[in-house]
Amino acid sequence: MKVKPLRILMYAVLIFLAFGYLLPIWSAVTTSTKTGEQVALTTPIQLVLPPYFGAYKIAFESLKRPIINSLVFTTLATIFSTVLGSLAGFTLAKLLRGSVSKKLLILITFGVFLPYQSILIPLVRLISRLGLYNTIPGLVLTHTAYGIPITTLLFTNYYYEIPDELVEAAKVDGASAAGIYTKIILPLSMPAFVVTAIYQFTSIWNDYLFGVVLTRGEEAMPATVMLANLKGSFVANWNVQMAGALMVALPTLIIMIALGKYLIRGYTSGAVKG
Amino acid sequence: MRKSPDLPYILLFLSPALILVGVFVYMAVLWNIYISFTDWRGLLPSYRFVGLLQYKQLFHDPVFWTSLKNNVLLLLLFVPGSILMGLLLAIMLDRRIRFESGFRTIYALPFALSFVVTATLWAWMYDPSSGVLNTIFGKLHLEFLKSRWITDPNIAMYCIIIALIWQFSGYTMIIYLAGIRSIPVDHYEAAVIDGASTWQLYRYVVIPQLIKPTLSAFVVLMVFSLKAFDFIWVLTRGGPGTSTFILAVQMYKETFAKTNFAYGAAIATILLLMALAVVLPYLYWSYRGEEE
Repeated sequence: MKVKPLRILMYAVLIFLAFGYLLPIWSAVTTSTKTGEQVALTTPIQLVLPPYFGAYKIAFESLKRPIINSLVFTTLATIFSTVLGSLAGFTLAKLLRGSVSKKLLILITFGVFLPYQSILIPLVRLISRLGLYNTIPGLVLTHTAYGIPITTLLFTNYYYEIPDELVEAAKVDGASAAGIYTKIILPLSMPAFVVTAIYQFTSIWNDYLFGVVLTRGEEAMPATVMLANLKGSFVANWNVQMAGALMVALPTLIIMIALGKYLIRGYTSGAVKG
Repeated sequence: MRKSPDLPYILLFLSPALILVGVFVYMAVLWNIYISFTDWRGLLPSYRFVGLLQYKQLFHDPVFWTSLKNNVLLLLLFVPGSILMGLLLAIMLDRRIRFESGFRTIYALPFALSFVVTATLWAWMYDPSSGVLNTIFGKLHLEFLKSRWITDPNIAMYCIIIALIWQFSGYTMIIYLAGIRSIPVDHYEAAVIDGASTWQLYRYVVIPQLIKPTLSAFVVLMVFSLKAFDFIWVLTRGGPGTSTFILAVQMYKETFAKTNFAYGAAIATILLLMALAVVLPYLYWSYRGEEE
């Protein structure tokens, strides 16, 4: 078979870019497994064997509690925002019709594009007034509320695809809206739940802005906020910083590698990050 | 609305979402706009109405114009940069490549990471004394490529833009790959039968079909470029000096470091207006599109 030069060039570009894209992550892996001395004496991209895990121990000392905090509020807010999005999406796609449904959907969807700076001061006041400043419930409430626009959009789009005839037939048989939701819609919703929950978990875990303005001190501080603080307290200790960065990245890296196709489906269904 | 037996369920299912969005989005936005018309400074709220005072001050603040300039820079370089890079990657990956899913995962990986994580990684990449880039260039005897990177006020903003394109091109690649794959096969076949070259195939068949994904990617990236706070804040804190300030950074600094709440609220309102200018036409367009 004749090998086309254009194809070789394309592979060369793809491989070169792959190295470029991996360089920051690879350098973090190599640097995080070195002693401070090895960091100073070797090239950042060089892997030193046997690996040294002391930097991970130091970073974990600071990140332990924040990682637990993040796991707790991310899981809860993911569940709440996904369930509420499913209920709202079902109502908008199957119970309400026509322009009322469209207008409500647009009203809710606008929240997807909201620059959060424009609600930040009221948010901090509101959460403080509710006595939820620096608490896990405060973060759960906040992430649930700002998750609803995207979860509702994802579920509404998904439910539009389910034939109305299924719903109509059940209505004729005398099923209530709740019955239709639990007996017909929910069993068909699993793919949408997976996509939405993975999407939400990733964006809530990755958030920094809400965490930094709504917490102070250990009790509720998210892992991302602690990682940013680590940057200040371990200024020249690159091995500790990289170890911390990789620990905070781990859950989303696992999701991307193992469940990437669901995450990708979330992005392509009109999803955004921020 | 006709009275239906569904009504109680409609209220039950929809009200949590509507109440949360109503309070956390719409009420909060109005509250913020109101704060921007007051003289609230310091930790105790003051709601004394002072009209457009904060905005007048803002327009005389050189930091505001620096921030706005950097926002425009993001719009002009980061947005098209991510679009073009993503399109290039998607077109290459679509050409029946070996290890396609491996390449795809690698390019998409950065987008799954938190901005705090990527900012930490790029701080090490760009560190002028012992960082990744300068050390590699030193080893390769490419000394002329060594740089002070994010510590040089003249190029710091461009360093940030490159890192952000690295992080977002995976997203645009995903969008474009889905777009290309959804083009019906007979479109290709017709073009090939007509003797179209590869270039013509892309120019006249593929690219025109990608207008919709391009538009939504533009909107997403533009809105992101307005609120890109986390990455810049963690990487440079807006420095050196104010060279990497964008409006979102200025808003945060004024509000939470200097407790100029009314002033911060005014910056936030400007950001909101800029986002509306992008999002409203887009929502109108996609709403109209569905009606047809």
